[in-house]
Amino acid sequence: MDHNEKKLTEKESLELIAAMITKAKDSYHSTGTAAMMWGAVVAICALVRLAELQFGFKLPFDIYLLTLVAIIPQVLISIREKKERKVKSYDETYMDYIWLGFGICLFLLIHAVNLMFRAWEPAAEAYSQLSGKNGFPLYEYVHPLFLILYGLPTFITGAACKFRPMLWGGLFCWACSVATVYTPFKTDLLLTALSAIAAWFIPGLFMEKEYRAYKKQQAALNV
Amino acid sequence: MFKDLDPILHSQLRLAVMSLLIGVKEAEFTFIKEKTNATAGNLSVQIQKLKEAGYIDVIKQFKDNYPQTICKVTRQGIDAFEQYVANLQTYLGKG
Repeated sequence: MDHNEKKLTEKESLELIAAMITKAKDSYHSTGTAAMMWGAVVAICALVRLAELQFGFKLPFDIYLLTLVAIIPQVLISIREKKERKVKSYDETYMDYIWLGFGICLFLLIHAVNLMFRAWEPAAEAYSQLSGKNGFPLYEYVHPLFLILYGLPTFITGAACKFRPMLWGGLFCWACSVATVYTPFKTDLLLTALSAIAAWFIPGLFMEKEYRAYKKQQAALNV
Repeated sequence: MFKDLDPILHSQLRLAVMSLLIGVKEAEFTFIKEKTNATAGNLSVQIQKLKEAGYIDVIKQFKDNYPQTICKVTRQGIDAFEQYVANLQTYLGKG
């Protein structure tokens, strides 16, 4: 197509603008790898902890350390995806910041909860000894906090990118956060695993499917 | 009253480039080439004209030892594009 200095009619100009804006919008598709990985990691952590409680065994390490290990493949995935990107949209930039902020909030929350437990445990023990009653079960109210946090970036991403699986995933996290206030600890773990699968793993599968279709389409166009 | 359409933008390839860049933060030369189906030579010339008009910034750098050209629209470019679209709508509305 020869574009060289070709003059356009007003209608052609508007049509060209609309076509190019659409092309730019459709230009980036996430591979879904990171979403699937985090969905799987969080679900595995919650289910292994549930199995430990249910079947009375204990792993020699804290299974939640897996979330720290998962940062390494996350960095590698981010570098690879960044290399593949030929275009950077404003949406992607905002989403990157939202998920980075989510990661920071998550670790701050873990830090705060750990400190809270350290302060609470001796007080709860002393109360139990003096009163003969069980102390306030603070650990029962930890999962709702995490689920509220899981839901936020997921919902924003789903709504902003018009990606329904993530939108519903975010809402599912919030629904589970309400449920976990009333359910016992083991059920909380199960609901956390389900939330991770609904919010990240399943949307990740959809993303991967879309990415493959996009790549196939691009390959067909380049033939 | 009809206003003259910006001659820098009222050209097929330059308008295509600006329309692509207006919705994104930045894009590689290869991406623009792929989406506009233009030849590298022609595209380089038109990008240079947009740069000289102050409508886009062109950043040349190296990525994995290969040269990479990144284009992004400037504030002046956004204003010019918005004015161009407003003028087009005036034409079409009165036509």
